[in-house]
Amino acid sequence: MTATAGGLEALAAARQERPSTLAEATEALQRADRDRERILFLGGGTELTLGAPPDGVEVLLSTERLERIVEYAPLDQIVAVEAGVRLASLQDVLARSGQMLALDSPWAGRATLGGLVATNAFGPRRTRYGSIRDLIIGISMVRADGTEARAGGKVVKNVAGFDLPKLMVGSLGTLGFIATVTFRLHPRPETERTVLFPDLDADAVRQVALALRQAQLEPGAVAALVHEGGDDLGVRFDGRFELGVRFEGFEAGVRQQAMKLLDLATGQRWRAESIGAETARAFWARHDDARESSAGFRAKLAAQPMDLERVANAAIGSLFAALEVPRCVCYPTLGLAFVAGEVRIAGQVAAAVSAAREAVPEGSVVIHAAPPDVRAAVDVWGPPPAALPLMRAVKQRLDPARRLAPGRFVGGL
Amino acid sequence: MSAPSLVTPAPAVEAIPAPPSVIDRLIAVVGERNVIRDRDDLRTYECDALTSFRAAPSVVVLPASTEEVAAAVRIAVEAGMPVVPRGAGTGLSGGALPVPGCMLLGLSRMKRILEVDLDDGWIRVQPGVINLDVSKEISAAGYYYAPDPSSQSVCTIGGNVAENSGGAHCLKYGFTVNHVRGVRMVTSTGEVVDLGGPVLDPPGYDLLGVVVGSEGTLGIVTEVVLRILRKPEATRTFFATFPSTDEAGLCVSEIIGNGIVPAAIEMMDRLAIQAAVAATGVDWPDVGAALLMDVDGCTAEAEHTSEVAVGIARRTGALEVRVPKNEDERMLMWKGRKSAFAAMGRLSPNYIVQDGVIPRKDIARVLSEIARLSQEQGLRVANVFHAGDGNLHPLVLYDARVPGQEKAAEELAGEILRICIRFGGSITGEHGVGADKAPYMGEMFSDADLDTMAKVRCAFDPATTFNPSKVFPTPRLCGDRPGPYHPHATEVAGLADRG
Repeated sequence: MTATAGGLEALAAARQERPSTLAEATEALQRADRDRERILFLGGGTELTLGAPPDGVEVLLSTERLERIVEYAPLDQIVAVEAGVRLASLQDVLARSGQMLALDSPWAGRATLGGLVATNAFGPRRTRYGSIRDLIIGISMVRADGTEARAGGKVVKNVAGFDLPKLMVGSLGTLGFIATVTFRLHPRPETERTVLFPDLDADAVRQVALALRQAQLEPGAVAALVHEGGDDLGVRFDGRFELGVRFEGFEAGVRQQAMKLLDLATGQRWRAESIGAETARAFWARHDDARESSAGFRAKLAAQPMDLERVANAAIGSLFAALEVPRCVCYPTLGLAFVAGEVRIAGQVAAAVSAAREAVPEGSVVIHAAPPDVRAAVDVWGPPPAALPLMRAVKQRLDPARRLAPGRFVGGL
Repeated sequence: MSAPSLVTPAPAVEAIPAPPSVIDRLIAVVGERNVIRDRDDLRTYECDALTSFRAAPSVVVLPASTEEVAAAVRIAVEAGMPVVPRGAGTGLSGGALPVPGCMLLGLSRMKRILEVDLDDGWIRVQPGVINLDVSKEISAAGYYYAPDPSSQSVCTIGGNVAENSGGAHCLKYGFTVNHVRGVRMVTSTGEVVDLGGPVLDPPGYDLLGVVVGSEGTLGIVTEVVLRILRKPEATRTFFATFPSTDEAGLCVSEIIGNGIVPAAIEMMDRLAIQAAVAATGVDWPDVGAALLMDVDGCTAEAEHTSEVAVGIARRTGALEVRVPKNEDERMLMWKGRKSAFAAMGRLSPNYIVQDGVIPRKDIARVLSEIARLSQEQGLRVANVFHAGDGNLHPLVLYDARVPGQEKAAEELAGEILRICIRFGGSITGEHGVGADKAPYMGEMFSDADLDTMAKVRCAFDPATTFNPSKVFPTPRLCGDRPGPYHPHATEVAGLADRG
């Protein structure tokens, strides 16, 4: 946790709770309920700056000691984990049975499953496997009043009761404490191959994304990085991308799909190559680096995939112009992108955020990290959603005294 | 709590007439012919596909737009009437069962496809659109809508959203909830709100995720944005017969254990095979079990996985493996499977369709427990199920003319749910809780679990206007403070008793 984390300095004074069992976590929440203390849940701390700084947190409840795999049933392809289990260590265990959680979000070594659920994290595999809401099948939570509750279960197909696991995805610790989570798993692909398009403009990236679908290709991961262009003054957005399309699965299918995409590219005069394992690793490492390297400012953009050119020019372009050492990872099949960089003049960055929001009125620009002076100038979440009254009602029912990360979420929830 | 009445055709509760002022106001909104209040006409709506529960609504309203739905809801709220939504009435759990004194909102007139965006991969439809019509609309362009409940040629998208419907192909492609990007919904205050939309990850709570599958208890959905998919390049299908469900179950486990994610794997036991043969004329042999499996994807992958899977079937004891020679043969195989429920009528005068889920690895153990119960009760149980995800559909066969058989069948069907709970599964994989399984919710979930769900329900609908007495085992009031349990008004009046 750094002092630049946008008003999170106050957390240093908070009392730390580090329960090692669900029972201890429940006791901690009951104590806080009795003493009317405000709580912030802490996982790996990788997205602590997401949202507005919570008001007057008195207790930091860390999941670092809740790190047991509660149940792993390879034959049923499900795993139940305590909230503090780290993504990378879970993947190691699953790999021994030839399986994986189809989630390749950043900071896998540090990020915890509870935190990943709370922040709705994702990586390039989302294009094929969906997001956490498509992988989560059960949850046990502890409410603000210290009541333990479960929803969902440990079978993938289950429509008994409300789907509260989905409600908890992305709720940022404002509705309850995520104690254990159950996920569905997928087989680890036998092999993989990446087709690289080293230099495309935004419209060509959009066309490739569309062509993938029209050609019935089913890539396992798709990501575009801003081309390492620019001038001596540093990276500047020149509207050009480096696009990687990874096919994964059984050898026969992977080979056929890569060939088909290369043929398509030739027909469209897009420069493309099927790259070897080492070059592929280097591309995906650049992707990871662009997502993970520490940055004073980080924002997530969402729009319709086919609007990529407009998003690139108006939204990504204006943020690049305002940031120092800017970088961008774009997921063109999803219509999602992350832009990061350092803030030189807060007013310029805030203005660029506003410009980006105006450029994608049907989408969103959410600030994941920014210094306080940027936060003071623009709302980190953007305009309140139309359903805010319902969201407020849900918060009111589950956390009536506003003790769970108060003020952190959308609309001051 | 008494066992639910799964089959006994309860005498329909007579309609409580709606006040004339309510009728007049509704007519002003939707027109004379779309307000049904004649006693005989109302009977059409007194149950859904679970015919053992019946109750006549006070009035049926057939709105044609979001605005009309909102106006009707406001009228109901002001009159203190419960509101029960209904799609095509194909639900198997009594989700569209009227509650006494209710306004039933029939959404079948709202069947327009509003907007198609193939390039961004979505379609916006009204709730009364038939599931299969979504795929038909976009089929020529090579796209389809993935969730495929067996009733897909008649059931509506609105009903699918309410029930979070599945289907044979949800093993690979997911359920309705994985394919709904957004809804427009009329809230319990009669306001119109959009949850989600075509763009991913809108800031805020994922209320959409809770609304899908909430069985009409949180709001009335009037528009739905669905994700649409490009048809896969190739599909390979095979049908394999086995001496018993043990070998067939082992085959399923091995296929999945080999890293294959089939688009669908369906299992049928001897009775189910016999019924399908009798009903559809498929030339399936009289064997202990059969598997019907689809793999899809790019051609090379589909061919590879199908080859591996066929090899596994042979190795695990398949008597015969058939590969359809053309699309017609393939469709006939699927027709045999999809008609299996209705086909039971050929084997037995009456039957109960059950829906439960177990961990896949326990299929053999659970089937032998079901067989034991079947023997004890002297009742036949046919098994048709989505083997890939452990979703069982045991069909309990009985003859209502034989004294005591119906009750025994009900008990057996209930015991099967208890087996599912005991093995860590679920009391419903796709048919929903509705009125039918509400009494079992307390066996699957603790009071605290249900209380947490009820809190969410209260956030959306504090007066319990929408579809009361569904999903939850005990009607609840939404007090603003925690306190002693208050019985619901309908319970006090003896109307919500399920005995």
